[in-house]
Amino acid sequence: MPEFVAESTLNLRPIVVLQRWWLDSRIPFGKSKFGLVCFVLIGLVGCSTHAKRLAIPRNHFYDGRMEECKKGLEKLSKSRHDKDVVNLDLAIVDLLSGSPKNAEQRLKLARNRFEELESESLTEKTVSMWTDDQVRSYAGEDYEKILIRAFLALTNLLTDGADAESYTLQLQAKHEELVQACAERTKSDTPPSYKPLPIGFYLRGLLREATLRDYDDAVRNYEATARLLPLCQPIQWDLNRAMHGTHSQPGNGVVYVFALVGRGPYKVEVSEQPTSDALLIADRIVSAVGPYQLPPTIAPIKVPDIALPPTDVDAVGVSVDGTTIGATYSIADVGQLAMDSYRANRSSIVARAVARRVIKKATVAAAKETMKTDGLASVGMDIAGIAWEATEGADTRCWGLLPNDIQVMRIEAPKGSSQLQLTPLRGGRPVAASKQLSVSVVDGRNTYVLCWFPDARSQSPVIVAP
Amino acid sequence: MDRREWLGMFGIIVCSPTIGCKGYQYGHVIKPDAPNMVGSHEAGAEVFDPLVDEAVAKLLARQQTVTPDTPCGPDGLPCPKTICFVGIENKSMEDIGDFKDKLYQQIDSRLLEASTFRAISRRMVDAALFETRLRPDSLMIPDNMRLFTAVLERNGAPLDYLLYAVLTSGTTTRNSSTQRDYDLTLELVNVHTGVTDKQSAEVRKGYHKTAAGKVWNYNPFKR
Repeated sequence: MPEFVAESTLNLRPIVVLQRWWLDSRIPFGKSKFGLVCFVLIGLVGCSTHAKRLAIPRNHFYDGRMEECKKGLEKLSKSRHDKDVVNLDLAIVDLLSGSPKNAEQRLKLARNRFEELESESLTEKTVSMWTDDQVRSYAGEDYEKILIRAFLALTNLLTDGADAESYTLQLQAKHEELVQACAERTKSDTPPSYKPLPIGFYLRGLLREATLRDYDDAVRNYEATARLLPLCQPIQWDLNRAMHGTHSQPGNGVVYVFALVGRGPYKVEVSEQPTSDALLIADRIVSAVGPYQLPPTIAPIKVPDIALPPTDVDAVGVSVDGTTIGATYSIADVGQLAMDSYRANRSSIVARAVARRVIKKATVAAAKETMKTDGLASVGMDIAGIAWEATEGADTRCWGLLPNDIQVMRIEAPKGSSQLQLTPLRGGRPVAASKQLSVSVVDGRNTYVLCWFPDARSQSPVIVAP
Repeated sequence: MDRREWLGMFGIIVCSPTIGCKGYQYGHVIKPDAPNMVGSHEAGAEVFDPLVDEAVAKLLARQQTVTPDTPCGPDGLPCPKTICFVGIENKSMEDIGDFKDKLYQQIDSRLLEASTFRAISRRMVDAALFETRLRPDSLMIPDNMRLFTAVLERNGAPLDYLLYAVLTSGTTTRNSSTQRDYDLTLELVNVHTGVTDKQSAEVRKGYHKTAAGKVWNYNPFKR
């Protein structure tokens, strides 16, 4: 053993450490070793993650098979731990199937549930330290909490619009709250790197402008949007109109086209290899110098990461009655927000995973001490410990059917019926066939159109309101 | 660590889940005479309620004064003045969010309670703004004023006065403490003569990063 200590501490190479441990286990080759290998391999397979379970409904969704997607999601929602997060995906399916009212109900439910879960349950926290983060009730990522309110506002605009303004206020309040909470968690005065989404200010601005009275509020909100999108020319036009003009000329109404563009972010499971290697070396050192052998960190520490699928649509071209108006512009970069929000919280996710491993190792060591095990029994407990650690899976629960970007275009048009043509674009060039639709423009009022272009091949539903 | 010690710790860890708390939210009704909560980052009911009370009371007090020019009814009492409350302009540093409509309704209700004024419904004001597509801040332009009053008259709501409310703020900063003065100004404009009456109320509020900030900045020994 002393020779092993010297070498392991000198080389500090996990592979060598692992080999040495394997050779040092002194198990006669044969049935026992074969059983051990099988046991470890079974353990390494781990449990299925949410990302894997969501893969098929996601594919159905992008293929336009909404019914099958909904059935798959409803099946997933029966699981107690997945119920809340699957509700968000079901809301998107409802919205794009033309049931914004159902979507709003689901989003409200998710919003209230996530609010409830903001104060953590000590029970779940304790249990998760001995299993993994998937046993905790899913309280939503910061970006999801913000987007729930953004989608609530959008779904409400597609129905009667009575609560849309409240949702935009909630969006802004939530963002402020999350910035404060993140600053408190990191014990620093600097706010997190992720910026507020312009969509909240923009929606509030357009709603205040539509009162034809509260232009001062519209200016304030468009100014906030312009600060976040300084290079966006149409926002400057909005600001200028709110400062000096009016909502629309007499006899005209306004059409807002909201385009949900690209496939959005989702979580995948990744191995936190540097931390796993460091922990393996650390537990070998502790095992060598201490009185008891700790189970070695063979199963890598798994953490969630954000995956952002490549997209071949970056905007939507809008034409009215055959006249090209322009392309939609971004007011919510969902992919970027998800990445920034994840980066702000990543350290605490890794720290929790490491703490879980330490607790598991300590539990095995304490059990060994209590039972005074040695030799084969000790190795058996190590194997059980490895298997226990290998069953951990990363918590990949997330709102999986988000777009990559939410974009908008404002068009002032004469009252009456207008023909709208929506074309998915990449680099300003059409990448798929256009969608034609008829909208009814109301004098002095807003009409809202919502379309989804996940990519050039997928189905692209369009909803018009009122 | 001996076996008993270990078992003790194990017991605590095993029992701890049963003590766990769940994230609930609770609500309660606040008694009318209970003081308002004081906002830690921006103005709330503690600022706006006294501002409205004071500004409206001052305006009503001034407008109740009867002069020989005041038109009176057959009973000898002064006729109520028809007033069009155009809206509230927020020019303060803070976004007042959902307070804006609440302030409008508060001021409107107080004016209605007084016999001095007869207020035009907000819905009629909105309809006139919709029809004319005029901005509320452009009604002082003579042509716009004529157009606006003509539309209201046609709709059966002739008016004597336009009322504007403006919320402003001023901020003084001293290291990590901030004092913000909130002013609500009510401006009453006679559409026939152009004569203006103005009343305002002020509430000052301090914001501090530390609990001692209030004592440090606002004590009798400070000049």
